Amino acid sequence: MTDLRERLGREWLFFDGGTGTILQARGLRGGELPERWNLTHPEDILALYAGYLEAGCHVFNTNTFGANRLKYPGEGELEAVVTAGVRLAQEARERTGRQDAYIALDIGPTGKLLEPLGDLGFERAVDLFGEVVRIGTAAGADLVLIETMSDTYEAKAAVLAAKENCDLPVCVTVTFDEGGKLLTGASVEAAVAMLEGLRVDALGVNCSLGPRQMLPIVERLVRAASIPVIVNPNAGLPRTEGGRTVYDVGPEEFAEHMERIAALGVQCVGGCCGTTPAHIRAMIGRVSGMPFRPNTAKETTVVTSFSQAVEIGPVPVIIGERINPTGKKRFKQALRDSDMEYILTEGLKQEDSGAHILDVNVGLPEIDEPAMMEQVVRRLQGVLSLPLQLDTSDPVALERGLRCYNGKPMVNSVSGKKESIEAVMPLVRKYGGVLVALMLDEDGIPDSAEGRIRIARRIYEAADRYGIPRKDIVIDGLAMTISSDSRSALVTLETLRRVRDELGGHTILGVSNISFGLPQRATINAHFLTMALQNGLSCAIINPGNEEMMRAYRAFLALSDLDPQCMGYIEAYANAPAPVFGGTPAAAGGAVSQAGTAPADGPSSASSSAGGASQSPLAHAIVRGMAESAAKATREALAVPGTDGLTLINEQLIPALDQVGKGFEKGTVFLPQLLMSAEAAKAAFAVVKESMAGRTQASRGRIILATVKGDIHDIGKNIVKVMLENYGYDVLDLGKDVPPETIVRTAVEENIELVGLSALMTTTVVSMEETIRQLRRDRPGTKVVVGGAVMTQEYADAIGADCYAKDAMATVHYADRVFAAHGTPAD
Amino acid sequence: MSAETGRAERAGGAPAAGTQTAGAGAAGTPAAVWEPLSTPRREVYRYLGYRGIVPDETVRAAAEECIAQLAREVTPRQVRRLLPLTRTVREDGAERLVIEGIPVDSLALQKNLRGCEEICLMACTLGPGPDRLIRRASVAQMSRAVILQAASAAMIEDLCDLVNARIREEAAERGLRTRPRFSPGYGDLPLELQRGISRILQMPKTIGVGLTDTLLMTPSKSVTAIVGLVRPGAAGTADGAGGADADPTCTMAGCALCGARETCAYRKEDS
Repeated sequence: MTDLRERLGREWLFFDGGTGTILQARGLRGGELPERWNLTHPEDILALYAGYLEAGCHVFNTNTFGANRLKYPGEGELEAVVTAGVRLAQEARERTGRQDAYIALDIGPTGKLLEPLGDLGFERAVDLFGEVVRIGTAAGADLVLIETMSDTYEAKAAVLAAKENCDLPVCVTVTFDEGGKLLTGASVEAAVAMLEGLRVDALGVNCSLGPRQMLPIVERLVRAASIPVIVNPNAGLPRTEGGRTVYDVGPEEFAEHMERIAALGVQCVGGCCGTTPAHIRAMIGRVSGMPFRPNTAKETTVVTSFSQAVEIGPVPVIIGERINPTGKKRFKQALRDSDMEYILTEGLKQEDSGAHILDVNVGLPEIDEPAMMEQVVRRLQGVLSLPLQLDTSDPVALERGLRCYNGKPMVNSVSGKKESIEAVMPLVRKYGGVLVALMLDEDGIPDSAEGRIRIARRIYEAADRYGIPRKDIVIDGLAMTISSDSRSALVTLETLRRVRDELGGHTILGVSNISFGLPQRATINAHFLTMALQNGLSCAIINPGNEEMMRAYRAFLALSDLDPQCMGYIEAYANAPAPVFGGTPAAAGGAVSQAGTAPADGPSSASSSAGGASQSPLAHAIVRGMAESAAKATREALAVPGTDGLTLINEQLIPALDQVGKGFEKGTVFLPQLLMSAEAAKAAFAVVKESMAGRTQASRGRIILATVKGDIHDIGKNIVKVMLENYGYDVLDLGKDVPPETIVRTAVEENIELVGLSALMTTTVVSMEETIRQLRRDRPGTKVVVGGAVMTQEYADAIGADCYAKDAMATVHYADRVFAAHGTPAD
Repeated sequence: MSAETGRAERAGGAPAAGTQTAGAGAAGTPAAVWEPLSTPRREVYRYLGYRGIVPDETVRAAAEECIAQLAREVTPRQVRRLLPLTRTVREDGAERLVIEGIPVDSLALQKNLRGCEEICLMACTLGPGPDRLIRRASVAQMSRAVILQAASAAMIEDLCDLVNARIREEAAERGLRTRPRFSPGYGDLPLELQRGISRILQMPKTIGVGLTDTLLMTPSKSVTAIVGLVRPGAAGTADGAGGADADPTCTMAGCALCGARETCAYRKEDS
C-alpha cells in the first residue's frame, strides 16, 4: 500500500460520506451512542463501510466519531469500541477486495468546551484524544482524520495528541457556519494558519452546510492554504419529514455541486451528513476525470488568535511592548506577586490603544518563568482577541507558552547562534509560529548591514532545514541607540531595506531602543519609526499608549496610501484634542474604547442620598462613581502641603464609600452604582499608593475568595472581591471551579483567618460543604463566609458555614467583625 | 492588519417554513437566528436589581454601551426538534414520561405536559461572546461586568421567546397549541436531563454548547427547554393550571413554578 502522504496533493483522493444518517436509517436512536454499534451491530457497520468502498472512495472513516473516555468510561469499553471500529474496517476492506483503501481513524470533538469557555482543560483534551489515537493506531488505522471541529483550540489538542502518539498522516476538517466562522469565532484564514503551523498533512471543511453554501468558504480555503484541501459537505440542509431527518440534495445534484467545488482547486472530496454511497459514487463519476491541480504555496504571513488572523506584510502592524518587566518596577512586583489583574489590565489597555499583536515577556530571575508564561498566556487569551508574541530566551518557557496558545503566535526570538537555532526551531516546527530572528550570532551584532544580511541568509537556510516556511521568519534589524554610535540608525534602516528588497522578507524592530540615553526620547522614537516604516519595517514593537508614536504610525499609513480614504486617521483624531508636546497626553484619540473605559462623569442618583454641597470633591466623585474625577481630586488634595494620604483615606474616601454602601443596603443605591463608586475609590487609592511609594500600607487582613469546584460562575465572587479590596483587605482570589484541596492548602500555607466561598447552583453547594468540612479538619480556626444565588441562612447553617452574606456589603461587615475580633490583622 | 474582526455573522432571511434543525446522527445546522434580538431595557434594569425604578443616566448610558457591545459580539444560534412523548408506569404505580427512550421523573413537568403527545425540544445560545466580554470587564471594571451580565441575560430570554414563538407558529399550522416552555432545573425537573437533551439535539455540534461535569451549560448564556404540543380539547387538558395555552402571548413558565420564588431578587413583579 502506498503511503497516503505520497498520494495526498498529487491526485484526486475521494473520501466517504455520512455515517450517522445511514445508521439512523438502520435503526440507531437519538439517545444512543453510535459507536457502541461496532460491538452490538457489527453487520450494520460492515455494510456501512462496504457501501463506501464499493462506491470507490480511497479513504473511509471508522465509526469512532464520538468515541472517547468521557463517553465510554467503563473498564476496557473505549478500547473495545475503537478496536472493533478499526477491525471491522479491515474486514470490510477484505470482503470488498479494496485493499488499496485507507482506514481513517475518525476523531470528532469531545462534546465538552475547553477552558476558558468550558471546563475541559487543554491537556486533559490532549490526553482524551491521545488515548483514542493509541488504540486506533494499534488496531491498524492508516491515518487520523480529525473532523467536525468547531473550536481551533480543541482541534489543536487533537492534532498534538495525534502527532505525539503516532506517525500516521493527520488530516483535519473543521466546521464553518455560512459566514465562514467556527462556532468559537475563528475565520477560515485563522484556522488555516493554525493548522498549517501544526504541520498537518491536509486540511479542510466538513459538515454543517451543503455543497452550494460551502462554495464561498472553499474559495477562501483554497486562497489561504498551501497544503491539500479536503471538502466534505452535507447533502444540503436537513429537515424533518414525518419524524425523520432528510436532506434535500440528491446524488446527482450533489455530484454536480462537487464538480464545481473540485474545479476551485481542492484536492480531496467526499461527503458528510446525509450523503450516501450513491452520492459518493455519483461524485467520483464526475470528478475523477477532471484535470487535477495540486495546491500552491501561499506567501502570506499570518499570526492568529482564537478568532483573529493578523497578516504581516502589506500594512505594517503595531506590537504592544508593555507586558515586559524590563525597567518596570511595578511590573516586576506584579510578576513576583502573581498579580494577574495588573498584567491583564496592561494587555487590555494596549488592545484599546490600537495594538495588533501583544508581546508577552514574563522573564524575571526569581520567578518560575515557564509556569508564569503558561499562566499569563492562558489568562490573556481568555480576555483578549489579539494574537500574542511569546517573548522569552528560555526554551522551556517558550514551549509551555506555545503549547497552550490558542492559534499561531509570533515567537520572539531565535538568533544566528547555533545553540539558539537548535533550541527554538524544533519548537516552531512542532507548534507553528512566526519566528522573529535577531541579527546576531556567536560573534555578536555585526555593525554593518552587510553582516546582518549574512546572518539573515543563514537563518533562512536553517528554517529550510527545519521545514519552517521562509514566510514565517521575520528579521529583527536591531535598533541600537544612536547615543553610543551615531551611525547605528542608518545601519538598521539599511538592513530593513535590504531584507525587503534583496531577501523579500519581513522585518521587525524594538523601535524605542534607538534613543536610549537621550532626553525627550519620544521625539526621536516617533521620527525613527516613520523612517523605519519608510524603509520597509513590517512590525513595530512600541508602546501603543504613546501618542507620539501612534500619531507617527497613523500619519505614515495615511501618507503611504495604506489607509483608504484616511478613514483610520480620521476615526482616531477627528474628535481628539491636539497633542501636547512635553507632557503625557491622556489616552486620547485612537483608543478603541471598550469595556475598559471609565464611566462617563455625570449626574448619578447616588448623589441624591449624599450629604450635599459640603462634600469634598473626592467624596463627591466617589459617591457619584466617577473614577477619573476621583483620581484627579486625590491628586489635587495631595498637592496641598501637609496633606497625608492616610488621612485622606480615612476622612474622605472611606466615609464616602460607607455612604454608598449604606444606600445600597437601604435599597436607594443599586449594584452598578455601588461598583462604580468602588472603582472610583480604587482609582483614588491608586493615587494615594503612588504618593506613598516605598512606605508599606497596613492591610486590614487577608481573605481567600473562591467559587467552589464545579461552579463556573464567578461574577458574584468578583463583586465581593472589589468591595473587600476597597475596604482595605488583601484578597487571594483563587478563581472559579476551585477544588476543596486547593482552598484548604492555601488557607493553611498562607495562614488565612477568613475564607469566602461562592456557589451559584444547588448542585455545587455540595462542593461548598466538602470545602468547609476539609477546612474544619485542617484549619479549624478559619472562619467561612458563604454566598451565591441559591444560598440562604438555613442552607449556610446546614453546611456548617460561620456566616451567610446576602451581598457584597454583608461580606465586608462580616470581615470587619472577624478581623476586629482578632485584634490585629493576620500577617 | 486585522484581516478579520471576529465579529459574529447574523443571519438574514428566514429559513423555509417547516425547516427544523436535524437531531441525532444527522448534521445539525448551526442555525443562525432569523431576526435581530431586542434587549428589553426593563428586563436589564430588573436583573440589575432596579425593581420598577429607572436607573440614573450614568447607568443607563453604560447599559446602552454594553448592549451595543453585546450586539456586536453575540452569535445567536438555535436548534429544535419535534419528538413524540410517551408515558410508562413505574413500579410504584406513578406515571413516568419518556423522551426518546429517556425516562423523566418530574411531577411539575407531568403537569405541564398533561395531554401532550408531542414535544419540541429547544436549545439556544448567544455564543461565547458574552462570556468573553464579561470576563474581560471583570478584570478592568466590575460595574461593566454586572451590566453585561444583566443585558446578556435579557438577550438570551429574548432569543428563547423568538424560538418559542416559532415553535408556536409551526404548531398552530398543524392545529396544535403549545404549553409554557419548561427547562431542566425548574421545579423538580432534574438537571440530569441536560445530558439527554444535549445528546438528542447534538448541542456541541449544532450550536456549540457543551455541558460541564456539573451540568452547567457553556457558553453560560444558553438555554434548553421543553415545549409541549397539545391538540385543543385533548383529554386531560380541561383543568385550569394544566390547560392548553389559550393566550398565545403567555409562553413563560414563570416564577410560579420556581422553588426560590419567595426569596429571589429577580422574581417578576406580576408573578
